Amino acid sequence: MDVTSARRAWLPRRYALDVRHALLLITGLFFFVIILYPLGHVLYRSLVSNGLLSLANYRAVFLTPANYRALWNSIWVSTCSTVIAMAVGTLLALLVVRTDIPCKSFLKILLLLPYGIPPFIGAIAWTQLFGPAGYISKLYTALTGAGQVPWNVYSPGGVVLVLAVYQFPVVFITVSGALGRIDTTLEEAARIAGAGLVRTMWDITVPLVTPAILAGSLLAFVGCISNFGIPALLGFRSRFFVLTTRIYSALSIPNIPLATAMSVVLTGVSAAALVFQRRLEKGQQKYTLIAGKSVNPQTINLRGWRMPVLMATISIAFFLSVTPIVSMLITSVLNYWGAPLSLASMTLDHYKYIARLDMVRRAFANSLFLGIASATITMAVGTFVSYMSVRGKLRSAAILDLLGTVPYALPCTVIAIAMILTWSRGPVVLYGTIWVMLAAYLVRYMPFSIRTTNATLKQVHPSLEEAARVSGAGWLQGMRDVVLPLTKPGLIAGWILVFMPAFRELTMSILLWSQGTETIGVAIYNMQDAGYTQIAAALSTIVLLVILAGNILVRRLSRGRIGL
Amino acid sequence: MQERIRVNHLSRKFGTVLAVDDVSFEIREHEFFSLLGPSGCGKTTTLRCIAGLEQPTAGEVYIGGVLVTSVADGVLVPPDKRAIGMVFQNYAVWPHMTVEQNISYPLKLARAPREEVKQRTDKVLEMLQLRGLGKRYPAELSGGQQQRVALGRALVTNPEVLLLDEPLSNLDAKLREQMRFELKDLQEKTGIAILYVTHDQIEAMAMSDRVAVMNNGIIVQEGKPHEIYQRPANKFVADFIGTMNFLQCQAIESHGDSVKVRLQSGDVVDVGYQGSIRGKCLLAVRPEDVVLSRESGLRCQVEVGIFLGSFTEYRVRVGNDALRVQTSIGAQFQPGETAFLQIEKGLLFQ
Repeated sequence: MDVTSARRAWLPRRYALDVRHALLLITGLFFFVIILYPLGHVLYRSLVSNGLLSLANYRAVFLTPANYRALWNSIWVSTCSTVIAMAVGTLLALLVVRTDIPCKSFLKILLLLPYGIPPFIGAIAWTQLFGPAGYISKLYTALTGAGQVPWNVYSPGGVVLVLAVYQFPVVFITVSGALGRIDTTLEEAARIAGAGLVRTMWDITVPLVTPAILAGSLLAFVGCISNFGIPALLGFRSRFFVLTTRIYSALSIPNIPLATAMSVVLTGVSAAALVFQRRLEKGQQKYTLIAGKSVNPQTINLRGWRMPVLMATISIAFFLSVTPIVSMLITSVLNYWGAPLSLASMTLDHYKYIARLDMVRRAFANSLFLGIASATITMAVGTFVSYMSVRGKLRSAAILDLLGTVPYALPCTVIAIAMILTWSRGPVVLYGTIWVMLAAYLVRYMPFSIRTTNATLKQVHPSLEEAARVSGAGWLQGMRDVVLPLTKPGLIAGWILVFMPAFRELTMSILLWSQGTETIGVAIYNMQDAGYTQIAAALSTIVLLVILAGNILVRRLSRGRIGL
Repeated sequence: MQERIRVNHLSRKFGTVLAVDDVSFEIREHEFFSLLGPSGCGKTTTLRCIAGLEQPTAGEVYIGGVLVTSVADGVLVPPDKRAIGMVFQNYAVWPHMTVEQNISYPLKLARAPREEVKQRTDKVLEMLQLRGLGKRYPAELSGGQQQRVALGRALVTNPEVLLLDEPLSNLDAKLREQMRFELKDLQEKTGIAILYVTHDQIEAMAMSDRVAVMNNGIIVQEGKPHEIYQRPANKFVADFIGTMNFLQCQAIESHGDSVKVRLQSGDVVDVGYQGSIRGKCLLAVRPEDVVLSRESGLRCQVEVGIFLGSFTEYRVRVGNDALRVQTSIGAQFQPGETAFLQIEKGLLFQ
């Protein structure tokens, strides 16, 4: 055997490995510039006052009433919403998964609907229903003859309730998932030991899913505390501030050091909640993980209560999920805000009007560009990093994998501030252009893409790829013939799952936009803020349609595994 | 006979763990060679090093006389450039390709002319009794059929060697037995050299021309199945292959070809043994090498019997030692009965 020729056969492979290493290095640099450096910048700026290292900015956060009140508001509002979301989400999950209530899958879709609606669009819809001239407010005054309604949607209470509506699906998803994964033999053993169904549920089931309830609630808490749209649309009018909206106003003064210090505090709170949530999730796997068995668990027989409970659940679900959408639709075709609800006052003028508006056209083009670009780039980078860490088992790739998921713990407001700080000065000035928004979107959606690509790649057993290799396929050929065809539906679904939230993004865009770089989210917010309720409604309706189409597509592609 | 695979001083370290520790063997033409050992013994890692799916940390691999891996010389031919066929434990049949597409894929990569692809694929389908299933997708096939597709894909290019990684472990007992014969037939028909990795000693014994028993990354014994069964090199092999009774004993007298040992019950037994042994040792006896009777031998107590078809297996007690013994039909013993046993053949380990 001629050893030299065999050595030659080895060389191309070593070379190929080097290409992959070079790509990893470039990705690492990219992550550094786009994630690590800006975050470091925020932390650094929060610690500098008048050119000196000091805690003055933090003193301002904790000692100035307007600021610490915002922090306090953030915490109590989020806690209240979370408690409501937890109670409602858990109860509905038990009801849907563990009783013999009919129409389970329909109920599930209905209850998950709010999850797919952008919270700020939801907030607008709830003001249309419960605001001073809202449909339900008018119905109430007409029915009771009272001069005014006893509630005010533009209040802390309104913020709490609307936040809860958009966070309870998170609890619902986690708890119903955990309920479905429980090893049913644990419950059966309790039944045989002599416990009744309800007793079993209370003694065995609920303790087993408690970690899931807490984990879901913590996710809901993070969702509440980092939300901007709802407290902005419902709180500004009554001068009720939370951290995110307070940061927004600090930036418009502008008081950047204060904004950065508040951002660090906000990040700290949400990151702590997420760390705790991860712990619970890991601990939970210890006793509920079962090996792919799907046994139908026993369900509580509701007997005579079946229909009343179904009716009540459907009405609640309809009220929370469908009424806001209907209200949006009606408002968008109404002649004028407050017009009587009759066919005569219906018109498509608002749609015609926005079609002519330059700003709206720009916003659509920008949002489309940002959605497509961020989905494509994050999916490409995410697929590469996931592949190298899942299959290549490379430590450097595993580090990138982790780094790419860090922004998950960052509230959007914080990401936006990091971008402003990093890109408004220095060698490359991107602030004011659409590129700074793209950078922010990439940071925000990288974790989503890495998570979906990780999961998708893990579904393809390594031996499928190895079988291609021993059949005579090179690395690239194996990718093309086996790995990509098998992961394609998952990757496309992942692309859409990034595109949709990016397409209607508000929180980062509202801080980063300038003349010419408006997005749809910004357009809707500004229209609503300026009192053009119906223009905002028409735009929101279009966004909801895009989201609906995207979700149907994702469900098709993933055969119901992902999406709503 | 020509060698098909040669492995020289192969080692694979994972961190600080030596999964494969200086393993050497060769597989000759037409040979069915098994790597047998408990899970985690390094047999699959060895196989993957031969396939090129894993990089060894030391050693060499030759396939068909060609050096494909040499850590010292920096040679590592990628798996797609090695003339091998391989069947994975979970079959790894591609779910997005039909049976035909799965089987013909290696031929297409080898750029075989279309006529030949068709002809050879049909031949393999025929040989593996998959005719008529060519257009089906794997999800529509049974486990046994998927297994055959994986085999067909591995065989279609007439490779030098066929690597099989626990291919029968996912099948049910009946099908497994049937596939054993089919694999053996297949080898007769094609004359291919087979490297078979398994933890199932019965499987390895039944099919192999030669077996290498592995433990903790090391080949502890290599030989023909009956040699390993009859003359296990150490206690591990004796325990791992077949059923074995182990009795603590004391060697008291050594003659040229036998040793007198005293069991813990106090009884003294003569055991055939070459060489000298003294002090504490371990007497290993197969259940079928013990004769149980009502007449003569060591006094024992029958505890329980299990009827197993062609024979009955009893657990008996001699002093404090429990022994499993097999008797052919005829003599029947009741639990609690006192009986006598004779050890016809035994092995001694120090």
